[in-house]
Formats: sequence, structure tokens, C-alpha cells
Amino acid sequence: MSGTFTKAMARNIFYGGTVFFFLLFLALTFDTTNALPKTDNRQNITPAVAAGKHIWETRNCIGCHTLLGEGAYYAPELGNVYVRRGPEFIKAWIVSQPTGAPGRRQMPNFHLSDEEIDQLIAFLKYTSEIGNQNWPPNIEG
Amino acid sequence: MHAAKHTLSPSLPAEPRLAGDLAIWIFILAELLAFGLFFAAYAFARAHDPALFAPEQEALNRNAGAINTALLLTASYFVVRAVHAAEAGRGRQGARWLLAALGCAGGFVVIKLAEYVAAFNAGISLSSSTFHMFYLSLTFFHFMHVLLGMVILGALWLNARRGRYGPRDMNGIESGAAYWHMVDLVWLVLFPLVYVIR
Amino acid sequence: MKYQSQAVALPYFVAAIGLFVGQILFGLVMGLQYVVGDFLFPEIPFNVARMVHTNLLIVWLLFGFMGAAYYLVPEESETELYCPRLALALFWVFLAAGALTILGYLLVDYATLAKYTGNDVLATMGREFLEQPLLTKIGIVVVALAFLFNITMTVLKGRKTSITVVLLLGLWGLAIFFLFSFYNPTNLVLDKFYWWWVVHLWVEGVWELIMAALLAFVLIKVTGVDREVIDKWLYVIIALALVTGIIGTGHHYYWIGAPGYWQWWGSIFSALEPIPFFAMTVFAFNMVNRRRREHPNKAAVLWALGTGVMAFLGAGVWGFLHTLAPVNYYTHGSQITAAHGHMAFYGAYVMVVITIISYAMPILRGRACNSRKAQVLEMWSFWLMTIAMVFITLFLTAAGILQVWLQRISDSPMPFMAVQGQVSLFYWLREISGVIFLIGLIAYLVSFFVKDGDKPATT
Repeated sequence: MSGTFTKAMARNIFYGGTVFFFLLFLALTFDTTNALPKTDNRQNITPAVAAGKHIWETRNCIGCHTLLGEGAYYAPELGNVYVRRGPEFIKAWIVSQPTGAPGRRQMPNFHLSDEEIDQLIAFLKYTSEIGNQNWPPNIEG
Repeated sequence: MHAAKHTLSPSLPAEPRLAGDLAIWIFILAELLAFGLFFAAYAFARAHDPALFAPEQEALNRNAGAINTALLLTASYFVVRAVHAAEAGRGRQGARWLLAALGCAGGFVVIKLAEYVAAFNAGISLSSSTFHMFYLSLTFFHFMHVLLGMVILGALWLNARRGRYGPRDMNGIESGAAYWHMVDLVWLVLFPLVYVIR
Repeated sequence: MKYQSQAVALPYFVAAIGLFVGQILFGLVMGLQYVVGDFLFPEIPFNVARMVHTNLLIVWLLFGFMGAAYYLVPEESETELYCPRLALALFWVFLAAGALTILGYLLVDYATLAKYTGNDVLATMGREFLEQPLLTKIGIVVVALAFLFNITMTVLKGRKTSITVVLLLGLWGLAIFFLFSFYNPTNLVLDKFYWWWVVHLWVEGVWELIMAALLAFVLIKVTGVDREVIDKWLYVIIALALVTGIIGTGHHYYWIGAPGYWQWWGSIFSALEPIPFFAMTVFAFNMVNRRRREHPNKAAVLWALGTGVMAFLGAGVWGFLHTLAPVNYYTHGSQITAAHGHMAFYGAYVMVVITIISYAMPILRGRACNSRKAQVLEMWSFWLMTIAMVFITLFLTAAGILQVWLQRISDSPMPFMAVQGQVSLFYWLREISGVIFLIGLIAYLVSFFVKDGDKPATT
């Protein structure tokens, strides 16, 4: 079977298709932006949560842990750690690092103040309450 | 269709010819694949929970859907006439057929928008239920294809008016027509699947 | 070398390879830390090593892309580079900024680094792959804009080919989407949502344009196939890549608090994402089979074909493996993600940069191709690195499957760290594969210095 195959047509399809699907993506993004207040737990973003997120970022926690499944895969998921361990355990854990157990993975001590740890925990609590389609499958993350 | 009639070099045997550009066919296949997966996903989700789908499906405006089906089919017919006109060397006449097709497509858009307004007023959104998610996703994805189809028909119309298409240059109009028929074809599956079959 | 100014590509390629070595060394450190947890602690904690590993990757690929552009654009545009001096100055700026950033990671406590580089003014740090201090991020933007200015002016004053147009689109897209790295709302869901506009729309969007353009350029050069043929397939492939890849972003929106419909949209479109990669493989092999000349640089041809295959396997097959929402529910954030990431980055972007280096470097050094002996060694390095990467991927996949089973599926789910202990055998095997990768890399380095009486290979 013979046919035509022109560069002009291929190029037009590339431009047209790209613009088309990017506009579709923007439309879905628009809808998502409107729908997010129902799921993203924004009503619970307090100054402490904001400060906690800042601590989370400036200690590069994502370099070992995952948060809602994104990050490094070296240390446990922390999106649900508030539910899994509770605030007291988290606090005690952070303070007692590193364990120094030979051959075991080590977490640095970040020398956080009591207030900073509370803020970090507030951030983790807020994160655990984000409506994220019930991921992870179980409490172990 | 009448490729043999218009073969320019009679010394070559006429072979079956793909109407339109290979590039547009690759694109059409990719689009059909995406729609196909979406339809399959719909069928799968519906089979899981027919009771949830039925009442919401019932609430759709089937009359609007039927009119839209007629509009798209008519537009396709006009596009076919435009291609025939170009093939017969009457490209400028084909431009008028294209304009008629554009008119039908415009009618589809108006009716569809009215349907959307009614749906949004009724609180229907992508997140309001699984059926609504599919209804809005599938029809909106298709709706955007109608808009793109209209852009293409508009470009064909401009070119046809300038007398670009004729037996010697059918690639553009055939490719555009093939795309439009794809848009039509998808609706012919979408309408019964989402609006009618229960 | 047809144009004098193409020579500025040379330092870019050298820097790219140098940083590549650094990336692999830190990869090995991390691989060992997976099994010997306290290795190099507290000097180089895992998160620091990882930051260095991934950031070096990004930076050296950017060096590779820029070098490739400086090499390719004058030749395609049939004109000298608009301003070779600017290109050279940018090289030193980018290298210094990159080196300072890496040293900052290694020598300064991250929180201190953040404090002194303006993170309190505009917090952008501490997010995966975007860990760079604000100053570095601004530096990247400045360098990228000056680079784009230089390249765009060159294209504008010369011949415009499909390859340069696609390359420019990709590079401009790279710069534009990077701007989302400056947007870091407190709302974690929004933060993650737009974080992917950098990460996904880079690697499964605009970078694919760059990759396809580089591959098309090398294929034209080594096969002698008509440019018209290569051009139209180039457009078809990148059209498919963006048609599937843009909405495919949805596969990252399943579990981060975005609406549920992304599970459907993301699954459907990312299920189609392997198609352009498959098309690219078929395209590369087809062009080589239809070649109208025997290019003496066999190694470059091998890298080009390898790019197609490995990109399809890594991005296409391993991506598809866990992209459907019901599967991803269990595999999200496991070692399966790591397996996919390794092979996809290697197959698509590492290999395409090495392809262009392999093709251009001999020419930059004043010969059509390297000596036979050097090429044989380079091909050895190809097979060592590629096979090692296949095994890294397989072992991580095995670890991932086991992890998912023990931690997420079985009736009595085990805690994360307990599972890590259970799968450590695979981490050891991965580390051994990593060592083999390093050997391949050393062979690659040595191939640049092999002398065979300076006799270029003949065919």
C-alpha cells in the first residue's frame, strides 16, 4: 500500500498534539486546584505546621525517608508515622539519635530544640491527615 | 477512493493508497488507543458497580446526546462531500461543504456546553462520583477533540478557499478529514456506552 | 570539526565525564550504606551521599546537554556559534557553582548551608532533587538563560533544521519548567503537585525532546540516511512522547492528596508511555539498517542503538511495570521505584549523552574516529556498564518485590527496617553490580587515552 508521509504533517501533529495535551493538563490542573481544599487538610496548616515543614526541609529528611511515598527509600515512610508511633515515641526517637549500633543504619542528631521537635511533629500530624486515597496499604508504610 | 481514476502517471499500476498522511494515521491510532483504554476502564468500573452507575446515567440528557450524534454524523457527511469536491477539482466548492461541517460542529459545541452548565449547576464534578468522573472525563476529552477538529476544519476551509486542494494535492484535506472522522467515530462509541447502554 | 566554535563543547564533555565518575563513586558509597549502615557515618550520612549522587547526575547531564548543543548547533545551523566566549565563560561559572554546591553539601551542615544561602528569604531547599541552595538555583537559571540566548541567536542567524528546533524547544522547556522549583508552598499537596512539574515534565517531557534531537543528529551523521526521513520520524516520536507523557504526569498524583480521578487519567496515559520509547528503538535500528555508509566510529553507533533499547527497557518496560494505579498502590515508594529510576536515567539520558560524546569527542580531538583499539575498549565499557545496570535493576526489582510482599501485602506486615534486613542479600548483589559498573566506567575513561600509533580505525 502506498501512502504519503510528509514532514510538514508530522511537525503540525507534534505542535498541535503538544498544545492540545498541555491545555488538557491545565484543565485538569484547574479542576484539581478547585478540588484540593477537600482533601489536602489545609484547614490544619498552623504556624507550627509551617515551621515544622521548614525544619523537615532544612534537615533534608527526604534524603533518607519517604513522605507520602516520595523521597529516598533508605528509612521508613513518615507520612503516617504520627499514626504509627505517636508523638511521644517520635520525640524520644529524634532525641536519642544516632543509636551508634554497629553496622546499623544511622540517623544523625539534628540538635533540635523541644519547640522545634514539636513543630516537626505538628507537620507530621498534618501530613498524616491528608486525604490521599488511603495510601499506604497498611500502617507499616 | 477514486485514486485509480486520478493516477497521474498511467504507466504505474494503481496500488491501494492510504488516504491521508501516515503521520496523521499514527496520531489517530494513538488517540484511538487512549480512548479505547478509557472506554475499557469505564466498562470495567461499571461492571463492578452497576447499581451506582444506573441512576446517574439515567439522569443524563439523552436527547441532547442524540442531537449531537446527528450533528457530528452530518458534519462527517459534509466533510466527505468536501473531499469529493476537491478530488473532482472543485476545491472551492469543497470550501462551502467544510463551512457547513463547521456549522454542525459548532452546534455540537453549543449543546455540549449547555449540558455542562446544567451538570455543574447540579453539583456534578469530576470528584462527585465514579460515574460522573467517567462522564465528564470522557465527554470533555472528546469535546476538546471536537474543538481541535474544528481548528483543523477551519484550516482546511481557509486552504480550500484559496484553491489549494485538488486531485494533485489531496494530502492535507484527506488527513484533516480522517481526523474528523475519528472524532465522529469516537462519539459513536461514547454516546451509546455512556448515555444509552444500561 | 566544521566550525571552530564547536570546540567549546570539549570542556563541557570533559566536565560531564568527570562529574559522572563522582556520581558513581557516591552511588557505591550509598550502596554500601544500604548493607553496612554506619559506613562513613557521621562524616557522610546517607542523605548527603544521596544528594550528591542525584545532584551530580543532574549537573553532569546538563553539562552533557549544553556541550551537545554547542557542538551540534553550529554544525546544523552552518554558522559559527553566536558567542563562543560566553559559552566558555558560562562553563567556568557553571562548574564553579556546581563544585561549590557539592562541596557545600559535603562540608557544611545542611541546615547551616540553608541559613547562609538565603533559604529563609525564599525556602526552596530540602525537596528531592531540588536540594540546591537558592543561590545555586538562581545560578542555574542565569546560566541556562545565557546559554539559551547564545544557542538561540546561533540558530536564528543560521540554517534552521528540525533538529535544532526540537533541541531548542527541549532546552527552553527545561529552563521554563525549572522555574517551578522556586515555588514551595507550605501546603504539602500543592508543593508535591508542582514539584512534579519540574521533575516529571523534565524527564518524561522536555528532556525527551533533547534526547530525540541528539539521537537524530548522531543517526544522520553515522548512517547517512536522508535527513528528511529522520526528521519526520523525529517529529512523530516526540509527538507521541508528549501526547502520552504530559497527562502521564498523573501517575505521580495517585497518593499525594490529589483527587482520585488522577488514578484513571494517569494509568491510561502512562500505559501508553512505552509506545514512543518503543518507536525510538525501532527507529534507531531501522535507520542503522538502512545506512548508506559505514561510519568508522562503531562505538558511537553502538551507544546510539543501546540508548534506544535501554531507554525502552528502563523507561518503557520498568515504568509500565508499576505505573497502573492498582499496582502502584503497593509498589509506590519501594525499591521498585529505585530500580526503574536507575535504568531509565541510565538508558535514556546517560546513554544519549555518552552517544553524542562518543561521536563528537574524536572529531573535537581532530580525527573522524578513535583507533580500533580505543573503540574496542569503549565497546567493552558499553557492555560492562550496560549489563551491570541491567543487574542493578534486576536486583533492586527483586528486593522491591520482596519488600512489597513482606511490608505491604502479607497478612502480618513487617516493619520497614525488619524488611530491609530480610532483603539485604539483594542489596549486596546490587553493590557488586555497582562495582562492575565502576570497572566499566574506568574502561570508558581509559579508552580516551588508548594510543594505537594514532592510527584511526579504517573500514
